[in-house]
Amino acid sequence: MKSAPAVVAGLVALPTAFFLAFFLVPLAVVALASLTSGEGDVTFTHYARVLFDSYHWSILGVTFRLGLYTTVICLVLGYPLAWYLVRMVEWRLWRRVCVILIILPLFTSNIVRSFGWMILLGRRGLVNSWLVDFGLVDRPVRFIGTETGILIGLVYILLPFVVLTIGNALAKIDVSYEQASADLGAGAMSTFWHVTLPLSIPGAVSGAILVFALAVSAYVTPALLSGGQVTVLPMLIFQQYSSVFDFHYGGALAITLLAFTLAMIGLASLVGRMGAR
Amino acid sequence: MMASWSLRILALLILSYLALPLIVIIGASLTTTSFLTFPPRGLTFDWYEVVLTNSAYLSAFATSAWLALWATVIAVLLAVPAALAIARYEFPGRAFLSSLLLSSLVLPHLVLGAALLQFGSMIGLTRNFTALLVGHVVIVTPYVLRTVLPLLSADQKTLEDASCDLGASGLATFRYVTLPQIRPGLLSGSLFAFITSFINVELSIFNTTSEINTIPVLLFTYVEYSIDPTIAAVSAATIVAAVIAVVVIDLVVGLDFFSDRGGR
Repeated sequence: MKSAPAVVAGLVALPTAFFLAFFLVPLAVVALASLTSGEGDVTFTHYARVLFDSYHWSILGVTFRLGLYTTVICLVLGYPLAWYLVRMVEWRLWRRVCVILIILPLFTSNIVRSFGWMILLGRRGLVNSWLVDFGLVDRPVRFIGTETGILIGLVYILLPFVVLTIGNALAKIDVSYEQASADLGAGAMSTFWHVTLPLSIPGAVSGAILVFALAVSAYVTPALLSGGQVTVLPMLIFQQYSSVFDFHYGGALAITLLAFTLAMIGLASLVGRMGAR
Repeated sequence: MMASWSLRILALLILSYLALPLIVIIGASLTTTSFLTFPPRGLTFDWYEVVLTNSAYLSAFATSAWLALWATVIAVLLAVPAALAIARYEFPGRAFLSSLLLSSLVLPHLVLGAALLQFGSMIGLTRNFTALLVGHVVIVTPYVLRTVLPLLSADQKTLEDASCDLGASGLATFRYVTLPQIRPGLLSGSLFAFITSFINVELSIFNTTSEINTIPVLLFTYVEYSIDPTIAAVSAATIVAAVIAVVVIDLVVGLDFFSDRGGR
């Protein structure tokens, strides 16, 4: 029989080599390019440009604002839906259908889902005709090319993540806590505020952080719904790599986004672990 | 109770918000008009016929399918040995290996795509099938690893040891003891991997050309310039495929995750 180290080496050699070559090294190349000038000297000018220039501040501002609004709206919509699925649906088949409906968007391309909103949010789209028919607005509202349009698309794309994480957190809560609270005379509302909600907060927070990270790094949805009127950080990164070909400045933008996303993910897993305790 | 009913209605409204764009796309693909409109005017499958005679769509579809298939096969070949090593052995760099293989799950695909384009241009690997493939392998491998790893439990290790003690070779043990145990995870992980590859835009967009293009990237470039019912027809077809995939996964592994209420 072969020795354990030889077996391990045989098992991990290929996966390790592949991921070093096509994952870690490419990212290192980007990091290196972001810190060097065209002549190969070490420089921080690209980062200085990203962080200290008002044009970038406005793009970062739009990106983060959209991320924040998306997260808040996802939480506000996701919590009741998760609650409904976990606590209120009694018919198993219907819950299955609902879960499929929530997961289905994750199995369709962002492009397809954003395209649906392009049809819906157009000047003569369904949303505008409803708004006019119900007398809520006099003239059709412009959605495409505005932050509102992008926001509607991002919330739609990311809502399933929140519903799934909150739903899992709610499903894990031991109902005996709530029964104890009720036995001690607390009303349904009071039990919810003092027992159930606090127990579900770690799940909600880690879901929210995940959504925020995904929202600020989303490219397809903002690109399609912005109609060229709004620019977010991922769109700027794509421009640098696909048409400007400035790998140094593009690299600094990419590393900024990457570092931010990693920090968010780290925070989410920290919160998740605190919740598991 | 009032509150209970308003919550029910709210939940149904949110569910319709999730379903609406998909219904609109399927509906709009059936219109007889040459522009997109919902509700559709008339009812026709002509746009699907147009798609099936459009060579750009057909070749992009073939590229996407091949790409997803190869990426999934390679991901399985990389992830299963790695999962075995991570689950069964203590070795230096074990934690590093698992985070190396899993972290592409959370990194922005756009950044990874940019990195692979830049690195690829240094080694002459850009804008061809292989360039697309390596990127897709990187993003789909974690899905297989994540579904296989939990199935390699400790009590199953005892079975493998028994099989070895009884004289079975390592390969025979894998074939008859380990493989049946990880099969459900392998199946759902592969399906997730295939779909993740098939629907990707952010990574592929850096390495596609007019000659070699994937369906989502082709749709993306079309949508940016013009919107016509063939785009809706292609999108609707991918939605129907996604419905089938989700139902299959539901039947194989069960998606009823919210049912295990604590304390019952």
